[in-house]
Parts: sequence; structure tokens; C-alpha cells
Amino acid sequence: MVYLIVFVSIYLLITIYLSYLGYRRTVTVSDYLLAGRQVHPLVMAMGYVSTAISTSAIIGFGGISGVYGLSLLWLTFLNIFVGVWVAYVLFGKRTRKMGKALDAHTFPELLGRRYESRFIQGFSGLVILFFMPMYASAVLIAVSRFVEVYLKIPFASALLGFSLISACYVLWGGLKGIFYTSVFQGAIMIVVMIILGISTYVLAGGPTEAHRSLSMLTPAVPEALREMGHRGFASMPAFGSPIWWYVVTTMIMGVGIGVLGQPQLSVRFMTVKSDQEIHRSIPFAAFFYLSITGLAFLVGALTNVIFHNHFGRLALDVAGGNIDKIIPLYVDHFYPPWFVALFLVTLMAAAISTNSAQFHSLGTALSRDFFEQALMRGRSVAETTIVTRIGIVFGIFATLILGLVLPEGIVAIATAFFFGLCGATFIPSYLFGLYWRKATKAAARASMLSGFASSLTWMLFFHEQESKAIGLCKALAGRDTLAPLPWKMIDPQVIALPLAFAVFVLVALMTEPVSEETVRKAFKHI
Amino acid sequence: MSCGMQSNSTMLKYLDFWVAIGLLAALLSFFFCILYSVMRWNKGFEEKHGDYKAEIQWEREEIELIERLP
Repeated sequence: MVYLIVFVSIYLLITIYLSYLGYRRTVTVSDYLLAGRQVHPLVMAMGYVSTAISTSAIIGFGGISGVYGLSLLWLTFLNIFVGVWVAYVLFGKRTRKMGKALDAHTFPELLGRRYESRFIQGFSGLVILFFMPMYASAVLIAVSRFVEVYLKIPFASALLGFSLISACYVLWGGLKGIFYTSVFQGAIMIVVMIILGISTYVLAGGPTEAHRSLSMLTPAVPEALREMGHRGFASMPAFGSPIWWYVVTTMIMGVGIGVLGQPQLSVRFMTVKSDQEIHRSIPFAAFFYLSITGLAFLVGALTNVIFHNHFGRLALDVAGGNIDKIIPLYVDHFYPPWFVALFLVTLMAAAISTNSAQFHSLGTALSRDFFEQALMRGRSVAETTIVTRIGIVFGIFATLILGLVLPEGIVAIATAFFFGLCGATFIPSYLFGLYWRKATKAAARASMLSGFASSLTWMLFFHEQESKAIGLCKALAGRDTLAPLPWKMIDPQVIALPLAFAVFVLVALMTEPVSEETVRKAFKHI
Repeated sequence: MSCGMQSNSTMLKYLDFWVAIGLLAALLSFFFCILYSVMRWNKGFEEKHGDYKAEIQWEREEIELIERLP
């Protein structure tokens, strides 16, 4: 407990100082601007990655790896190739230039101005407002699970306590210094994850012995999982099996591709000063992804070896079937108290950096995107400030309620849900907006609506994971899903994203592009 | 060098083919990112000497937006 108090105090003091620094910088804007600020590439990469990677990756996806094994390493590949290279080079550079040219400050605003559509901006804002709390709650649940295990308190108390900390941070000035604090938070995450990764391999007897032991555990995989395609923790699931579809389409592709449509990440490119900063920060971001998610997934799978060596049981069994408890129980059982406390601070840092960006997006989605554009028809009014606060408070409450009602083992699922929904709704319009001068307003509207609607329909009636949990399909049709295998295991994004792309192209070929003046302005620096 | 490669292949031999490919793909994409960055390390700076007006306008509004946050 002493370690926890010491580490938390040091962490909070540094965070408060950095928030103050961020605030001071923003009030001396003139000098700051004219000096031509150049953000160090390490700083830019760390800020971006700490927003992108949260407790969900470490606890939720680490736990998923504890159940399904090292197949999750494909997600690390997508994290680096899609989440860094594609996001920075193919999306980031043009987002920066187009964002500045169109004077856009939020992701929905970029889409709205590119397509001259208040509807697009307002609709995008509403999607963020109503669905981002699901992802924010996943982040909170993950850290609360660790607190539950570490402090031996009920989960609900841990969730309420951490929500209070997060709310205080966000409402009392944390958002102003978001850029500076997220860098500090990212640095903690990287150092602690590297220590965790190395020590896990040491505990498991070194890399070769660890992998050998992991492959030897295949016969211990429960029969129920083997029947669904599980072939051991060092293997991919059997091709085409229910688990293969689940791991590949939801856990790997849903998050790996859906990251491109994440509003709180895309907006970060607009704050960059030049392409040079983007070029230079790429290797740092790639390294952070490799060391945080790569190690989280390796550690997740290897927990099976260590639990089996000590207790003769697999990780999921030790966690009582709750995937989200695998990493917390592993750290709590096998590490000294000082490291457990440090790990909790790391999770706090990961949760707060992501939550801050999420609540920031929620606030501006309601005020700037929905209220100002869709309701006030573009008029900037004094009430916007209060509406921003209402958006943030709504987001905090929605997140808290979801955190209390969502079932166990939900962290990775809720994250994949939000990434998939954003991917299907936003990616086609975003990509074509950046690259295709003849992209039309009607195409963007039709693509976004079809991506969103097909995603939701697939979740409610076909994808068993959600349709069973929600129960609407059972109420209307008397069964959990309308789809047979393998369709009921295929992630909504796999259906909705290609559909949204096709709709965009078809409608764009039949309708008029946006005005020449807007196109010229949007592509001015490209 | 050959000793390092041997230890890597020993590490990988217990992994299924597609998992090993996934691990290698992650490492290769990381090295690709480094290579891409090194090749463009000094590129993309020239625009800073160009038109600042739009950027300054954008920054002003961004600051106003941040000021409205709690």
C-alpha cells in the first residue's frame, strides 16, 4: 500500500505540473505560433500511441491472448503496419494538410467541410457521442479489474473510485494539457511493459523454453475450446473454425483496421506542423506499438505457462473464466509489491491518457459538431462552452453506467465493437475525401449511413456475440442469431466496410462532386 | 550473427507456422517503418517556409476551442 501511495503521488504531481505547463503554453499563443513550434518526433509518437493504446490493449487483449494464444501477434503486425504506417503516411499527411486548409478542428468537422455537409458533421458527432462511451467504459473496466484484484475490493467500488479520479482529472483542467500529459503517460507505459515482458520470459525459463512450454500445453486446452478450433497457445486456430473467425475478423481485423476511423486519433494529425514531423515520428510509434501490444500479447499467452508451472491450471481457469482478470492476477501473484503498484500506476496512466482524448472528442462532438453545426446551422454561440461540458459529463456518466452493467470479460469485445463501428461508418468517406476529388456529398452520406446501419443490423441479428447479449433477435425471431456458422462468427466490419466502400463508389459515380471551390481549397496543399 | 540467428530459429521452432509468420511480419513492418523514416528524415520541411496564414488562423481557432474545455 505504501508503494501505491508513493507511486500514485509522484504520478499525480508530475501530471498536474504537465497539465499546468500545457495550460500556460496555450495562453501564450502568439509567441508560440510565430516561433514555428516543432514538436519532437518522439513526443508526437508517444502522445499518439498513448492515446491509441489503453488498458484495453494490455488487460483486455492481453487476456484474449491468454485464452487464444499467440495468434494475436497478427494484431501487433496490423497495429504497426496499418496503425502506424498506413495511418501516418496514407491518412495522416493529407489529414494534416486538408484539416488546415479547411480550418477543421475535429474529425467530423473535417468530413463535414470536405463534403459541404452539416448533416455529415452532425451525424458523425452523434455516432461518437452515443458509441464512444462503450470504448471508454472498456478502458475503465480494465483498470478497475486490476484495482479489484490488487486491493481486494468489489469491482463496482473500484469502478466508481477510478471513474471519480478520471472525472476530476478531466473536469478540472486535465484536457488543456492533454498533449503533455499523454507523453508522460506513454513513457511510463513503455518502460513498465518492457520490464513486464522481459521478466515474464525470465520466469518462463527464457525465450526458447517459454515457447517450448507453451507448445507443450496444447493437450491441456479445454475440450470445449478444442472443438471450436483451438489448436494450442502457440498455434493459430484451425482455419475456418468458429474461433478462427472470431480471432481473425473481430480481434485482429476489427481493431487492426478499425483504428483508421478513430476520431480521437485522426484529429492528432491536424496538430502536426509538417510532414517532416510525421516522417520522423513513424519509427518511434512503431517501436511503441511493438513493445506495448507485442509484449502484452506475448505475456498474455505465457501466463498459461507460468500459472500451469505453479498451480497446474491454465490462466482462464485461474481467472474463474473472466478474461479481463488474467493479466491482473498474473501480475498480482508473481511480482513484488513495488512492481504491482507501479503496474497499477501504468494502467492509470494508460486509462487516463485514452479517457482524456475520448472525453475531449465527446465534448466537441456534442458542442462543435452536433450543436453548432447541425442544430445552430453553423452559428458559433456563447453556449458552446456549456454544451461542451454537458457532452463531457454525459460521456462520463454513460461510461460509468456501461461499466456497471456490461458483463465480465467484455474489455476487448467492447473495444472491437467501437473500432469496427467507426471503421465501417467513417473509413470510406474519410479515405475518398482525402484522395478522390470527385467524391460527392451524396456518396459520403450514403456510405456512412449504410456502413453504420449494416454494422448495427449485423450486430443485432447475425453476429452471435452481440445479438445474444442484446436479445432483440431472440425477442423477435425466437433464436439468438439468424445466421448459421460461419456467418454468425464473422465480425460486422467484414460485412459493413466493403458494403460502405461499394455504396460510396456507386453513388459517387451517379452524383455531382462538391463545389470546385471546396475541392480546390481542400487540396490546396496536396 | 549466426549464433543469434540460430537462437531465433530455436525460439520460433516451437511456434506454429502462421504464428511465426505473424511475429516476423510484426518485426518486418517495424523495420520497414524505420527504413521509410530514415529515407524521408529530411523531407517534408519545406512547406514551413511557405504560407503561414492558414496555419496561424487554424492554431488561433484551435486555442479558442481548447480554452472552452473544462
